[in-house]
Amino acid sequence: MIDLSIGRDLETWLDQVRRLGRDYLRPLGIEADRRHEPVPPDHPFFALAWRMGLGQPLGVEERSASGPRNGARRGVVVAEEMSYWDRGMSVAMPGLGLGGPPLLTMGTPEQKERFLAPFRDREQPHWAAFGMTEPGAGSDVAAIQTTARRDGDGWVLNGAKTFISNSMRADWIVVWATVDRAAGRAGHRAFIVERGTPGLEDMRYEHKMGLIAYESSSFTLRDCRVPVANLLGGERYYAERAGFKGAMKSFNATRPAIAAMAVGIARAAYDAARDFARAHYALDRPTPRYQRVREKLARMARKIEGGRLLCWRAAYLADVEQPNEIEASMAKAFAAGMAQEATGLAVEILGDAGVTADAYVEKLYRDVKAMDIVEGTGQIQRLVIARRLVGLPG
Amino acid sequence: MFTLALSDEERLIQETARRFARDRLLPGLRAHERARGVPPEVVREFAGLGLAGGEDLGAFVRALVLEELAAVDPGAALALDAPGLAQPLLDAAGLGAAAGRGVVIEDVEGRFHARDGRLAGEHPWVPADAIAVTAVLHPGCAFVVCEGWRLTPIAACGLEAAGASRLLLDDAPIAATLEDPRALARARAGIRTAVGALLVGAARGAHEYAMRYATERTAFGRPIAHHQALAFLIADLATAVDVARLAVWRAAAALDRGESGEWEAASALAEAAEQALLVGPSAVQILGGHGFMKDHPVEKWMRDIRTLASLAGGRDEAELAAAALAPEHEMGFARGR
Repeated sequence: MIDLSIGRDLETWLDQVRRLGRDYLRPLGIEADRRHEPVPPDHPFFALAWRMGLGQPLGVEERSASGPRNGARRGVVVAEEMSYWDRGMSVAMPGLGLGGPPLLTMGTPEQKERFLAPFRDREQPHWAAFGMTEPGAGSDVAAIQTTARRDGDGWVLNGAKTFISNSMRADWIVVWATVDRAAGRAGHRAFIVERGTPGLEDMRYEHKMGLIAYESSSFTLRDCRVPVANLLGGERYYAERAGFKGAMKSFNATRPAIAAMAVGIARAAYDAARDFARAHYALDRPTPRYQRVREKLARMARKIEGGRLLCWRAAYLADVEQPNEIEASMAKAFAAGMAQEATGLAVEILGDAGVTADAYVEKLYRDVKAMDIVEGTGQIQRLVIARRLVGLPG
Repeated sequence: MFTLALSDEERLIQETARRFARDRLLPGLRAHERARGVPPEVVREFAGLGLAGGEDLGAFVRALVLEELAAVDPGAALALDAPGLAQPLLDAAGLGAAAGRGVVIEDVEGRFHARDGRLAGEHPWVPADAIAVTAVLHPGCAFVVCEGWRLTPIAACGLEAAGASRLLLDDAPIAATLEDPRALARARAGIRTAVGALLVGAARGAHEYAMRYATERTAFGRPIAHHQALAFLIADLATAVDVARLAVWRAAAALDRGESGEWEAASALAEAAEQALLVGPSAVQILGGHGFMKDHPVEKWMRDIRTLASLAGGRDEAELAAAALAPEHEMGFARGR
């Protein structure tokens, strides 16, 4: 029989996340939203969280360890809980972020040692970033235009990246580029571009409709020269034509956790709507409107729990090292769609109060939209599922 | 930490039920519909497997078995699973297994009245032509009667292999009354979980058939599954079946842990009904005109799903039950869960 308990170790962890969330993540997320500015990297909270060993919630470090695996399951539970308190803040947290999976799955031992080293310093918070998306290449990641040209003992990068989380404060960014646009995926290479590298220019904030707490930035690479040693995985890795696969592997590892973040936002909307309804409505009265409120709450809860189960299944399969590509995409597609519906229902439950900026739920409604876009849109998830189920080409 | 895998024994039971459904139900699919029942030798053979209702299987294993049978024929699943949906009530009332088919009626419109130890009332449809036990559920109590009814055979939208009748209880002697709220809630949860499992099965049968068809049928020079409009639909239907199954498993596991399962089961039935009601008609749509014809079984699963979703109070009562519980429902990671 299935077992849906989360275990004592994780419960203890969650208590810590809960306190952090209540005291810092949510208040800071709301403050950033009102000020329309990300929380700055020198905010004392980041140093505090970093000293406590609390980084970004993707669980990638655990996943690379040997022994009994539970990193993916831990990852989805912690990601949901952090996102419940504030998804924007959970991305703003210091750590490897999406830069982690490519470094850990593709990097040479020397590269891991060199680029993980700053992250062992617990005094100052550190960030890493992942630069794939370009102004003209979102879902179609194979169409990236940023070029990489070998020149002596280095590589020269030219192009532009956009919507890159935490890149302004990152120690280094994993930048995807192509050595041959005509070669498609086989031409892709990943480079670690360190902060301060000449030619890494025009860093600027993007203004978003939600998730204001973390910075999304764009930047330009103008004859940006990186040493040969910063080609992620080294030449041999690409000789085996694993370049694009490396990128995709990164997404498979993080998809269930991203889906769990959508679940977390939806759960926050449910709690806000339920608490509002209990405080303001006489739900026991046989008023038609109150019956609708109860029905909407029940629907939200049911869908949220369904989304969580899909995340948990995908994470469980990852931990027992079974293929989970379909399941991870199902979790992501379902959870992101469900969470949009749930936050919308929460706004409705509050009535006219729901759309006011004082009502937390309208922030969640804005925040959650991104979850159906980042890390593969809902449409991309459906492509992934259909390729596996019915051999959809492409 | 949480585990979403079946045990070896559960897998074996699932495989046994799947093989039985494929070998013994599938070939007679339309014949069983016409006969409004399953041949006695097939019933005996299924009983011999030890997987029928009345056996002490637990809600989780029961859900596995019902899904497998319903993936081929939900009507036959009801016919084979005597005492069927009434089992959780019989258990709660200490009556053991029934001698034959049991039906459950959620009396949502107050058609049944108890007086002097007797029950009278009428119900427009039960999925059976002959029964041994009738259970009538009211909000605060349930009655079990074992005799004193009249059945008039009728035609129903689906589940033909189970039969279909109008039921008249004519001052039927009440064999057992269940009033303990916790026992009643658990029994209801057991019934809803079983109906949910049947819906998941029927939806899976429809989805798998339509998916296979879509890879074989070509239009505009390629398999229709390779047109994105259908590819995306097929992906969504696969997700629909899976999310419904996980909800049913969760409810069944709660019951087997001894919990009331009230929230989980009401949610599971509501989810399974919603998703199956998406999958059934969509599967017909994928087959186009062929889907509308009786040459393929998808039209049958669509009708069966519509009919199943009305059983034992169906989707509406399940959604109302969940709505009543919702204002108190907690979804965080509570300790000890």
